[in-house]
Amino acid sequence: MRSIRLEGVSKSFHGEEILENLSLTIPSGKFFALLGPSGSGKTTILRLIAGLEQADQGRIFLGDQDITLLPPYERRINTVFQHYALFPHMNVFDNVAYGLKLHGLPAAQIKQKVLRILEVVHLGRHVNKPIQQLSGGQQQRVALARAIVNEPDVILLDEPLAALDLKLRERMLVELIDLQDEFQTTFVYVTHDQSEALTVADQMAIMNYDGEIEQIGTPKQIYEFPTSSFVAHFVGTTNIFEGILRFGDNQARIEIEGLGFFEVAIPQEKKWLCNGCVLLMGLRPEKIEISKNVMEGFANHLEGNVESIVYHGRSTQYNVRVENGLLIQVFEQNEEHFPREEIDYEDTVHLYWQKENVTLLER
Amino acid sequence: MEQLGNQWERDFCFFASLPALLWQVFFLVVPLAMTVYFGFVSEQTGALTFENYRAVFDGAHFCIIARSVITALLTGLVSLVVAYPVAYFLALRAGRWKGLLLFLAMVPFWTNFLVQIYAWFFMLERKGVINSLLGILGLPPLVTTNSIGAVFLVMVYCYLPFMLMSLYIALERFDERLLEASSDLGATPWQTFLRVTLPLSMPGIRTGLLLVLIPAFGEYAIPALLGGSHYMFVGSLISYYALVARDVGMGAAFTGISGVVLLGVALAIYSFLRLIFGKTRVEGEE
Repeated sequence: MRSIRLEGVSKSFHGEEILENLSLTIPSGKFFALLGPSGSGKTTILRLIAGLEQADQGRIFLGDQDITLLPPYERRINTVFQHYALFPHMNVFDNVAYGLKLHGLPAAQIKQKVLRILEVVHLGRHVNKPIQQLSGGQQQRVALARAIVNEPDVILLDEPLAALDLKLRERMLVELIDLQDEFQTTFVYVTHDQSEALTVADQMAIMNYDGEIEQIGTPKQIYEFPTSSFVAHFVGTTNIFEGILRFGDNQARIEIEGLGFFEVAIPQEKKWLCNGCVLLMGLRPEKIEISKNVMEGFANHLEGNVESIVYHGRSTQYNVRVENGLLIQVFEQNEEHFPREEIDYEDTVHLYWQKENVTLLER
Repeated sequence: MEQLGNQWERDFCFFASLPALLWQVFFLVVPLAMTVYFGFVSEQTGALTFENYRAVFDGAHFCIIARSVITALLTGLVSLVVAYPVAYFLALRAGRWKGLLLFLAMVPFWTNFLVQIYAWFFMLERKGVINSLLGILGLPPLVTTNSIGAVFLVMVYCYLPFMLMSLYIALERFDERLLEASSDLGATPWQTFLRVTLPLSMPGIRTGLLLVLIPAFGEYAIPALLGGSHYMFVGSLISYYALVARDVGMGAAFTGISGVVLLGVALAIYSFLRLIFGKTRVEGEE
């Protein structure tokens, strides 16, 4: 169980710079998710750690060991590939036993280890099956078992669930968390799917289109306290307002053109906030209360017109046009079969939120 | 409805393949059966006899069969070893030059077989291109015509395209991402080759070996033109009995036995390859 450290790593392909001077520490024994849009270089990071690509510059450490120049087969790191890359000429047993056989373990020990791991991933009944006879989900488990059985220091997962349907994906996510819990191996999980990342990760890093890391933190930190508008947008949905910060007696307010003043809570750690600064205010759709009636006890209030309604099943999304022309998204949980008030298209509604529920972002 | 459709499809497939089936029966199975039968007919008396088949296993004859088997096997192995890296490069590394290079590799194959052999004849003669060049450098002749070396060299040359093509087709479908997976799991490049690349190119190797072995075993033009009269092969022997000595019985017996030998060799190779790349079965599991 060891950490991974990238120091000033650069990598380009055919003259196109994918990563530039990137530094990142992945803590030991944690489930670490690397989340970013397609083309952000997250798979490149994974391949660099695995040794399948060589860094142009910089160093990569596994614990204290410099593995920058080590070939993949000398790294105690195993990968679960997006396309699984199972050996088509071998059955389930031989695929999983591949790494152990290479390390020259006695046959009896190999058999015991392989059968045990196949039990863990619920493939006990399919030991002798050819790969071609397995479903996508089963192949995915074989790929997982083939990596875990070697008890590597780190397991890299490259969008391992991308090819599975939603139900299976949700189940596999839970199983992945259980596996990581059991083996306490460092898992590095690359995905562009924010809900996957939020579900599995102890720690996560958000990458932007330029291959830079925007923010690192726990899923809760990332979701509730994004530090940039990119993160706020990319993880979940956010309404972003631009405004000017005004400090008053004991309170701070943000002035938004065409909408007026809104109270905000000022967190201690944001040193760059100043009186008169132009900044962005992020407000998550589910943090907003929506009603046709006037309500009490909220710091902030807006009025608008319901322009469209999107029904998601467990929640309903209202798109509300407010005075300055901005379209604001509001999520409401569908808690009752028959809601107390029916909000319809073209209705005039009131939006309420508390000052603690906004995030202030640098413009 | 589905059952009906299947029935119709089955009928259609049967009638569509009927011409080919009849062709095979009349022009392959029947002549083959006749050949086997002629082997049992005595040339002198016309009576049925085992004499022809027994004579095949005479010392001199048996040597010729053994020589043919060994030469064919060696031709297969050497062309495999020579063609494999070329096919690998063409299929997986040549990129956009693939088409052109493949074309160039196949050009000799489209040349008339006899022309190819004659070209080699002029190359390998005692005063031919190769030996003259060696002579200028003050070296003794390496390979000359009328030697087993020349026969072998030209056989490898002529059958190489069959091997190359079979390997190329098998390797072109090879998923290179498996190499990464193997390396990732701890295999050195050599281990990866032995455990992944080689087993997955096995269909190509098998096809290639059979495509080379079978005609090489019965080869008769190359030994006749480049081996002088010293080296008889099964092919030359059959043509000798059938065309020169006019002993149809012996020719037929030879043909029959060589067919059996060939089948045996092919089966042996097939099971050998299966044996070394078998799968692990865990007993007590379904």
